[in-house]
Amino acid sequence: MTAPEPPPDPAAPGPAAAPILNLDRLSLHFGGLQALSDLELHVDDREIVSLIGPNGAGKTTVFNVITGVYEPSAGDVRFAGHSISGQAPHRIAGMGIARTFQSLRLFLNMSVMENVLAATYGRTHASPAESILRLPRARREEREARALAADVLSFFGQRLAGYRWDQPAYSLSYANRRRLEIARALGTKPRLLLLDEPAAGMNPTETHEITELISRLRDERNVSILVIEHDMHVVSGCSDRVIALDHGVKIAEGAFDAVASHPAVVEAYLGRDPEALTEPE
Amino acid sequence: MAFFFQELVNGITTGALYALVALGFSMVYGVLKLLNFAHGDLYMVGAYIGFFVIRWFGGPTALTIPVPLLLVIMFVLAAGLVGGLGVAIERFAYRPLRNAPRIAPLITAIGVSFFLENSALLLFGAQYRIYNTPDFISFSTGIRIGSVSIDAVQIMCLLLGLMLMVGLRLLVSRTRLGKQMRAVAVDREAAEMLGINVNFTIAATFFIGSALAGVAGVMAGLLFNQVNSTIGFLVGLKAFTASVVGGIGSIPGAMLGGLLIGIAESFITGYISSLYSDLLVFALLIVVMLVRPSGLLGQVQLQKV
Amino acid sequence: MSLDSQPSAAGPQVGADEWVARQGRRREYLPGRLGTAQRQFERIGFWPRLAVVGLVGAVLPSLGLGGFQLQVGIDTLVIMLLALGLNIVVGWAGVLDLGYVAFFGFGAYGYALLSSAQIGSHGIHLPAELSVPIVMVAAAALGLLVGLPSRRLIGDYLAIVTLFFGEAFVEFTNNVAPGDFGGANGIVGLDTLHGFGVSITSNAGYYYLLVIVAVVVISVLRLLDTSRTGRAWRAVREDPLAAASMTIPVNRVKLMAFAFGAVVAALVGTIYAAQQISVFPTDFDTPILILIYAALVLGGVGSIAGAATGALVVMIIYDGLLRNATYSGYIFYGLIVLTLLIKLRPWRRLAAVLAATVALGFAAHAIARAISASAVAGAPQSTGWLGDALRDWVIVPASPQALGDWGYVVLVCLLIALVQVKHPWRTVLLVPALYLASVVWETALAAQPAVTRQIMLGAILIVTMVARPQGLLGTRRVETPI
Repeated sequence: MTAPEPPPDPAAPGPAAAPILNLDRLSLHFGGLQALSDLELHVDDREIVSLIGPNGAGKTTVFNVITGVYEPSAGDVRFAGHSISGQAPHRIAGMGIARTFQSLRLFLNMSVMENVLAATYGRTHASPAESILRLPRARREEREARALAADVLSFFGQRLAGYRWDQPAYSLSYANRRRLEIARALGTKPRLLLLDEPAAGMNPTETHEITELISRLRDERNVSILVIEHDMHVVSGCSDRVIALDHGVKIAEGAFDAVASHPAVVEAYLGRDPEALTEPE
Repeated sequence: MAFFFQELVNGITTGALYALVALGFSMVYGVLKLLNFAHGDLYMVGAYIGFFVIRWFGGPTALTIPVPLLLVIMFVLAAGLVGGLGVAIERFAYRPLRNAPRIAPLITAIGVSFFLENSALLLFGAQYRIYNTPDFISFSTGIRIGSVSIDAVQIMCLLLGLMLMVGLRLLVSRTRLGKQMRAVAVDREAAEMLGINVNFTIAATFFIGSALAGVAGVMAGLLFNQVNSTIGFLVGLKAFTASVVGGIGSIPGAMLGGLLIGIAESFITGYISSLYSDLLVFALLIVVMLVRPSGLLGQVQLQKV
Repeated sequence: MSLDSQPSAAGPQVGADEWVARQGRRREYLPGRLGTAQRQFERIGFWPRLAVVGLVGAVLPSLGLGGFQLQVGIDTLVIMLLALGLNIVVGWAGVLDLGYVAFFGFGAYGYALLSSAQIGSHGIHLPAELSVPIVMVAAAALGLLVGLPSRRLIGDYLAIVTLFFGEAFVEFTNNVAPGDFGGANGIVGLDTLHGFGVSITSNAGYYYLLVIVAVVVISVLRLLDTSRTGRAWRAVREDPLAAASMTIPVNRVKLMAFAFGAVVAALVGTIYAAQQISVFPTDFDTPILILIYAALVLGGVGSIAGAATGALVVMIIYDGLLRNATYSGYIFYGLIVLTLLIKLRPWRRLAAVLAATVALGFAAHAIARAISASAVAGAPQSTGWLGDALRDWVIVPASPQALGDWGYVVLVCLLIALVQVKHPWRTVLLVPALYLASVVWETALAAQPAVTRQIMLGAILIVTMVARPQGLLGTRRVETPI
């Protein structure tokens, strides 16, 4: 599929060293429950950062704070130099942060194509009246949106091939739904992509495919990526940097090997003293 | 001041009645997450049953049995028959739609409500049927505190309402069936996998909820004297609100909501105008729901992202 | 898993999900021949289809439809337009609006107030070409206002608030300032629609106007549905959070749906008021709401063609046929026979049931006559050949009221029981149920057509939902449990 337009936001020129996303001493609590405390995290331009940690560590909560679902109790979220905390989710998405959902939240009763087209809403501006009358701006935007959607879907090759575009999203297999979630997120032309367990429920072949896909996303579409993943093959395969969370606190950061063998990470996953489990009282 | 207390007493009595209807509504919502629009019409059926019991035993002026026995028969029969009707409705109209999109059972409920209302119109005609309560329970038998009078029917309705509410509270909190109801309300599928007979539990909930509506119907007949096929809709509507104001799915919430609406209505009628009472009650409720969507005693539903 | 038919080399790779997709599509069609016809019809594009349907609608009056049929046509178009407008809010934006009928009433009352002598004392009496646009703009504003709670409330809570809004509208027009709003007596003496040199005075004129409005509204809705706005509505319906994460301003999009729905309803309201030359609070009460919902859900929520077809079916049955005693008898017996033909297999069992029913009828009639002559002294409600055929078969006592009432109660119980029991008993119970249905019809139901058609409407809603929740033309939706 030939794309009639260049890939979105080709390496947006900006201050070279400034990270695209910066969480500054971010805290969030629900009542007495401290979900995140003083979290410092940054993602540089065109960097792939993995977020790991045991269940309940607060990884998805980080995503929810970044995308505006939750408002942080303290601290700040800065995207491309601007503070975005407290903004409405659709505005944050419009600025260039797109996400996928761990639990899959596709528009199931819309077609595959429409799922991606719906995500172009924030990039199009034709009013309902213009749409009804099919005025030039509405027609041009519709054409561009379809071209973008076709381009984005073609990114997944045979997996989301053309004959599936008009099928309802509910007819897709589980793995394909995960791919469509990514495609839909790309439909917003993001600069930063938040992937929540993109390889969950996939078989080893598909997992390998996803690992390559994440790298390709960065290389070919120039997006920075923050990815939550439990599968260490994916994490080690694509990340530039790994951050480990536990109980809402960052416990380790760095290259994959260093983080994976970090005592605090081992402890978070396996418990304080593994031998204590085997010892009688 | 006497007027104030009189209106308060009247409001509490009406409120107890609303609370009973609201309880059933709230219970059904709890287990099925269904706004049972037919609930108000079950109340209407209960009121008709009471009327026909009175007529069966000779009419209000020439009763062939003692009044207490008459009352017992009225309440028991209304509870039993309306409860049965509720179970039949659930089996016939709602059970096939357990896994359908949410709008389907809601529309069905509207259909059932319409069906019941017009069936009553067909069978009993459009005219108001009159209980003539004062003919067999004198207004003078009651208590007077200062210039505030509480007549015997009001006392009875209050006591009965209170008893039923306490009983229901105990049923839900203490018994095995209550535990099953709560489990089904939280997660139907999980409850089923844990060996709870979900169909039976839902049917039992419908029976209890509908029976309460039937009892409330008889109480309404005794208190307000008039029965008609259209009385159910408005009371149903107020019961919905009562349960929503109190927090839908919460039993104490439904009681509180019912009482509040009864009292509010009574004061609006007494101090402003009976013409605007429904309008103002609706306006009040819209405001309450906007300020506190989860209701006074309801819990905020957490949504998992 | 292997599939029997191998895909051609050039074709798509047949995977499990494509198979599921095909099955999913297949389920949406009506069963049997009707489904084939539906598929043929769908092969024609949307616009030619609309043109054909619009033309057919336009030429109907010249085929010699009388005054009654024309009125049914007008009522049908009114309900069709309301169902289409409701579909924006309920079907697309996925917001359950139970107060929708109030917008219809708002349009009608707005026109009645502005274009009649009602508030002439305030010096207001506008021509229609001015009052209709004013009412539509005001309705859009009201729609936004009523939609505001959708920012905070979702699902059932919003449904209740909108229901209150609908009830409050009826209470308001009934009770507030009777001098201005007419109270229960309504407002009479409205101007007929006129403007731009055209004045509509006859029912035929209103019919044509409504046909034109319907075609325009359907076109606009179709164009909206395939635009970014339509996609945003459906995305919000499917998953508000995901929609927000995909740059869609959920609240604004919902409000837009409310406003569009309100404008359609108000437009129809003005035309309806002008055609009736009067408005009454009861014209905008719950029964109309139920009628609109019945049309929408019968046709299929979320589908333009569904809403239109649903309104056509519901109104022709409810307004056209059930209002007429002879036709309603045909409908009643016709539906029963049709249902039996479709549902009762094999033929032998169908024949046995019919024969047993006939025999039961004659036997019951003979026994009743032997007991008391007055038990069969009445005449069935049906007249003509149907009445003659039933005369010696169905029991109609001299005073049929009691039998009709009890028969009705027993019939409802029998029908509920029919659903509960299994095969042999179901067939056995069917025989008395059929006979009883006829008895009840001839003694009670046919005598009170106004009530009967309401009962039938309720029954249609229940049976449609239970049998085909997605409606006639609707798409079966997949819902993710929350």
